[in-house]
This record gives sequence, structure tokens and C-alpha cells, in this order.
Amino acid sequence: MLTILKFTFKEHFSKKVLLFSLILAAIFLGLYGLGVHFAAKDLARNPNPMIADVLFPQLLSLGLYFGGFIVSFLAIFSTVGAVSSEIENGIIQTIIAKPVRRSEIITGKFLGNGLFLALYAFLFFLTVYFTIRLQTGLELNGLWKAAALFALQPVTLLAVTLFGSTIISTIANGVVVFTIYMVGVIGGMVEQIAWLINNVTLQKAGIIASLIMPADALYRKIVNSLLHTTGNPVTALQQMGPFGSMVEPSIWMVIYSIFYVLLFVGLAVYSFNKRDI
Amino acid sequence: MDFAIETINLTKKYGSKAGCTDVCLRVPRGQIFGFLGPNGAGKSTLVKMLVGLLYPTSGQAKLLGYPLNNIKIKKKLGFLPENFRYHDWLTCHQLLEFHSKLYGINGPERNKRISAVLETVGLAGKEHQKIRTFSKGMQQRAGLACALLPDPELIFLDEPTSALDPLGRLEVRRILLQLKARGTTVFLNSHLLSEVEMVCDTVAFIKDGRIIRQDSLEHIQSSEIKMELTIGKINDTVKQALSNIALSSYIEGDIVTAFVNSEDDIPRLAEAVINNGAQLYEMTRKRSSLEETFIELTGGVDN
Repeated sequence: MLTILKFTFKEHFSKKVLLFSLILAAIFLGLYGLGVHFAAKDLARNPNPMIADVLFPQLLSLGLYFGGFIVSFLAIFSTVGAVSSEIENGIIQTIIAKPVRRSEIITGKFLGNGLFLALYAFLFFLTVYFTIRLQTGLELNGLWKAAALFALQPVTLLAVTLFGSTIISTIANGVVVFTIYMVGVIGGMVEQIAWLINNVTLQKAGIIASLIMPADALYRKIVNSLLHTTGNPVTALQQMGPFGSMVEPSIWMVIYSIFYVLLFVGLAVYSFNKRDI
Repeated sequence: MDFAIETINLTKKYGSKAGCTDVCLRVPRGQIFGFLGPNGAGKSTLVKMLVGLLYPTSGQAKLLGYPLNNIKIKKKLGFLPENFRYHDWLTCHQLLEFHSKLYGINGPERNKRISAVLETVGLAGKEHQKIRTFSKGMQQRAGLACALLPDPELIFLDEPTSALDPLGRLEVRRILLQLKARGTTVFLNSHLLSEVEMVCDTVAFIKDGRIIRQDSLEHIQSSEIKMELTIGKINDTVKQALSNIALSSYIEGDIVTAFVNSEDDIPRLAEAVINNGAQLYEMTRKRSSLEETFIELTGGVDN
């Protein structure tokens, strides 16, 4: 399994999707850093604590939200054919005939991809975090916890993508996983609106969407825990809008996400074990 | 007898369609075994079942005395798939390193094995080129090198020369004979009957998923004797006399081709011509080729 893990990790560096993702991430982070820099500079010249208290957290949310998009897209599109494309082009035939169990192939691919994506997300998070922290001086809580949750986001997508890759073709898998991801994203927005207008039905719809794909719920938890300061009168204002988090998802959502990952990896192993190649 | 491959009623069904049905094979160790059949007959299905890509619907099989998919036994197996494809972003050396690790070949032994197989398949000096820059023939050699890495006791080669030029094919035949000399059992799935004829000890024919004949090549070639006679003044009596002796015969102009099943029938053919007033100009013994048996058994030439 270690051989497959190392090989899968290295394989990312040979793919063009990584290069494009890095270029786009660099463009995004560059523009983002520039925006934060000028916003902070402007407010330093004309100090307005009320605006700063609302604007800087919103900028953080914006950075993490779209950063999450980039990381999630990388997770989906770099692993969408993890198994299926190797079945389609025949490479897998040379691997299965070797003295390696099918379960080791799947777990090796999951861990290799998972380590790569978690590391990518972790570095992305740190860049956004320190851009905000150093340029605006915004007080933030729980750096490592938030970084870990941010790294968990692409891993949840990876688990579903890997499972899909063992049962359907590469293109079909891309369509299905992207749709599932969008269900989570839209569900998160719906839930945010639901809490704002206090609509229980919409809140439940949002929760169901988070159960189908918990990546967005993890994002809401990250934002809420980073910005949560007891007794801050503008907390509600900071968490308004589509990128905020009116109510922090509970720890059970994190535990659910971990089980979600384990479940889909288990399903991937099961279906690949049964599959004729 | 010790068998490298033994299958008992091995069957694979794809829904209602049969891939292989009740395949019973016994391949003795140390032989080169040729597996023949037309396209879609079930050749690749059987190979895929044996190497663990497909799960049998029913039946049993053993490789080197152990049930299929035994991890320990897989360390002694080599496999070159028909539609070979490898990670083309790797160099040939990196590819062989990866496959060595999958075989659990570590330490100095790894580099030793890699150098040896590169030498064997004729890719020495090209090991640092990327696979994607290789021609199809070179990629097939790289695939063969991967299959040879563990110094296998049993090797499955599915169309190993399909992308090779005549010189490459000659080299592969040389490699197969070297493997045999070392005691390796070779399961050769090939369309090239002449190639099978040159190296195989035993052959099996498959048609519509069923084994229709398994025999030693020697026996197949000697089971019928093909005679060609050039006859002058041929008449109906001669024709009748020849057909009474031969299993089958046909006439094209002055040339009569007759199949007999015994050496004793050969002088009888000559007598039948001479004693019935015809003239015998030439009489040649032809070997019954594998191709003829193939056509007879499967009803057509594979392409």
C-alpha cells in the first residue's frame, strides 16, 4: 500500500491540472492579497472601527470561500478518474496482476491523494489566514483547528469521487460529484438564509444538503470558529451574507464528516473488490 | 504430474452471455503453452480470470498449486496484457522501479533485476527515456520487462509480439525459449500461429468459450499426414482408389492432396496410382500445419 500511496502522491506533480490549479491559485491569492492590502491601507488612513469590524471578517470569509472552491475543484478534477481512467486505459490490469490486494490499491490511492489535497488546502488556508492577519490585524481564534477543518474539506470530496470512480466512468463521475458538491454549496447558502429569516423548513433543507455533502458545513464551522468572540456586538453582522455562518455547525458535523469519509472509502474498497476488470 | 495451471470447469458469464464455459486445462510446469482461438472466443477472458482481473462465475483453478489470487503466488507470476498501457510520464527505469516495488523486490536486488530485464528485452541504454517517447514496439518491450521482473515461475503473455517487427518477434521467441530453459512456464496467447508452432510444446484451441482440443504440438502435427502427389493420366479408377485409402483428398489439375492417418498408407497411395494405369511424377510428404488444424477446429482463420 505504501508503494501505491507514494506513487499516487508523486503522480500529482505530473498532471497538468495541478499546474493550472497552482497558476489560478497564485492569481487568486495575488488579487486577494492586493484587495486586502488596499482595503486595510484605506481604513488605516480613514479609521472607522465599525466598518473594519464588518469588512475584514467579510474579506476573510470571501477568501476562504473561494479558496475552498479552488481546493474542491482540484480535489474533484484531479481524482475523478483515479480508478476509472486506469480501468479505461488498461493501466490497472498491470497493477492488479501484481502481489497487491485490491483494498491496498484503493487505500493507497485515497491516502496518496488525501495527503496531497490536505497539504494543498492547508497551505492555501495559511496564505489566506496570514494575509488577513498580517495586513488587517484582525483577531482570529483557533488557527490549527480551522486549518485542519479546511484540509478536511477536499478529503470529503475525494472520498466520494474515489467511490464514484470505482463504479462509473470518468466523465459520469465528474458530473455526479460536481452536482453533489453543488448540492452542499447551495444547501449551505439556503441554510444561511434560513437562519436569517428564521425559517425552520429551509434550515432542515440546508442540514439535509450538508449531510449529502458536508464540505460546505465544514467551511461554515471554520468561519464561525475563527471569528467567534464572546460578547462581540457585531458578530451577527460579520456572519451575514452568503459567505458567513450565522450558526456554527456542531462538533457532530465534524464527526459525521470523518465517518462520511470512512464510509465512502469503505464503499470504494467494497465495490472495487467485487468489480470485474 | 505437477501442473503450473489447472482449471476445472472454469466458467465466466457476463449476464446471459458466456465468456468461458467449463474450461478444463492442465498446463505442465516448464512448458510453453499456446492458447489459440478466433477473436471473441474467450482467450482473454480466461487469461484475465487466471491473473485476477475477472472473477469466475463458477469452477475452480489453481496456479502453481494454489487457488487464484493468492498474494504469495502472484510474486511468482508475470503478466503482459494484450492492451498494454503504462504510466507514460515515467521513464522506463522509474516504471520498472515502481513495478519492482509492487513485487516487493527491494534493496540492491531491485537494480540488479532491472538491469537484467532491460538487457533481456533490448532496452538497455534507453532506460532514462520517458515511456511516452517510446514507439509501440518499445512500449511492448517495456511491458515484457515488467512481466519478467520477478524472474517468474509462470508468465502470461497476451499477444506479446503484436507491436513488434520481425526482428523483435525473433527476439521474443528467443526470450521465450530462454525462459523455458530456466524452467519457467509460459502461457502464450497469440494470433500468430507460425510463432506458436515454432516455440510451443502444447496448444489448446478455444471456440465460443469452450476448449475444443488440447494436445501436444507434436501430436497435432503428426496426427494426420498430408501427402502431395503429382500424377499424369489420372483417371476415375485412380481417384476412387486414392479416396479409399485417404481420410480426405482433393484434386487441383495434376496435383492430388491426400490426408492419411498412418505411415503404412503412404506406399499404398503410390501403388493405387501405378496399379491403376496412371503415372506418378512426384510424391511429397507435407507436414500438417497448425494453421490447418486451427481452420478445421475453429472454422476460420483469425485475423
